[in-house]
Amino acid sequence: MPAMYCHKCDQMAAIRMKEHRLQLCKDHYLEWFVRQTQVYIQKFHMFSRSDKVLVAVSGGKDSLSLWDVLWRLNYAADGMYIHLGIESEDHYSDASETYCRRFAEERGLTLHVVNVSEQYGKSVPEFARMKKWGKERPCAVCGMAKRHLMNQAAIDHGYNVLTTAHNLDDEAALLMLNTMNWHVELLRRQSPILEAGGGLPRKVKPFCRFYERETAAYALLRGIDYIEEECPHATGSTQLYYKGILNQMEDEHTGYKLNFYTNFWNAREKLFGQKSVKDPGDGRSCPNCGQPTTADGLCSFCRMVGSSGE
Amino acid sequence: MAITFILRKQEIGLEVEHTLMVKEALQRLGFSAETHLVVKDGELLNENEPLRDGDRVKLIAVISGG
Repeated sequence: MPAMYCHKCDQMAAIRMKEHRLQLCKDHYLEWFVRQTQVYIQKFHMFSRSDKVLVAVSGGKDSLSLWDVLWRLNYAADGMYIHLGIESEDHYSDASETYCRRFAEERGLTLHVVNVSEQYGKSVPEFARMKKWGKERPCAVCGMAKRHLMNQAAIDHGYNVLTTAHNLDDEAALLMLNTMNWHVELLRRQSPILEAGGGLPRKVKPFCRFYERETAAYALLRGIDYIEEECPHATGSTQLYYKGILNQMEDEHTGYKLNFYTNFWNAREKLFGQKSVKDPGDGRSCPNCGQPTTADGLCSFCRMVGSSGE
Repeated sequence: MAITFILRKQEIGLEVEHTLMVKEALQRLGFSAETHLVVKDGELLNENEPLRDGDRVKLIAVISGG
């Protein structure tokens, strides 16, 4: 096989992106990645430099890369880490927090930390074990808790934009899951930008067009120190199942994931007749935390932790 | 002749008869270039770069989920 050179200079390529018919050296890849992020932010009108942005960070490659890119682009972006209380041989949550703190300290950035056990008396895995559905689906409990706590942190600290580092593999897997199960309401809401509503901040996903290998390559090439260990609860998760199927398809048909996800943007508009998407809510709010709910009474999170926990 | 891959602290040995391209090595290990990156001496290798007898390289699983 011939040596693979950068399409912009005579250096050896560090990465080939077959779906874009593009191969780049380290320097040109880092430059391309940052520029593409800015393109997506502007294309979807995600936020501007006058917005106050909160980045949800987990200590992993995607979220720390996103925070790094936003910092380089001079956005006013602070970080938020949720210590879920996940134990493992390598102390998963403690280690993840250390990566986030170190990242913030090295760059002089502000990091907010919420410790679930300290604030609510139990860890997320402990809460999950108390729920019948949580025993079978701990990731669903974790996702619900993270959504609530991210919203709450944004509200409490006055951020008008909340950003997560969901990449294209995350979004394509979610799209496949929602389609296979005909979760129509979730399909309606799946968008790179969810407008503010019901007191909640705007939610945006600037990495939604990057393949997961591209965010990993950015972290590696930029020298970002991130947690490589996988969450011990992720083994056998539904998301990994769909990612596996999509990557098999991608191996056989280059660009499959990108087409599947980006073509959905047009399809969603035709199917649901709406361009912008808002958070759900019909005016009802949780009497305990004040966040919007889709049912009467306490929201799912407050029901889980018990009203005394708030 | 062998190449050693290190994936999340575990070592995987791959017997080879001659120099292998990264892509070929991944295929032999049952991994896809879509889901795994290969790093040698701190440098990210592209799919066409050669791996030789005695090389010790790090495999990065890029897909995470929950």
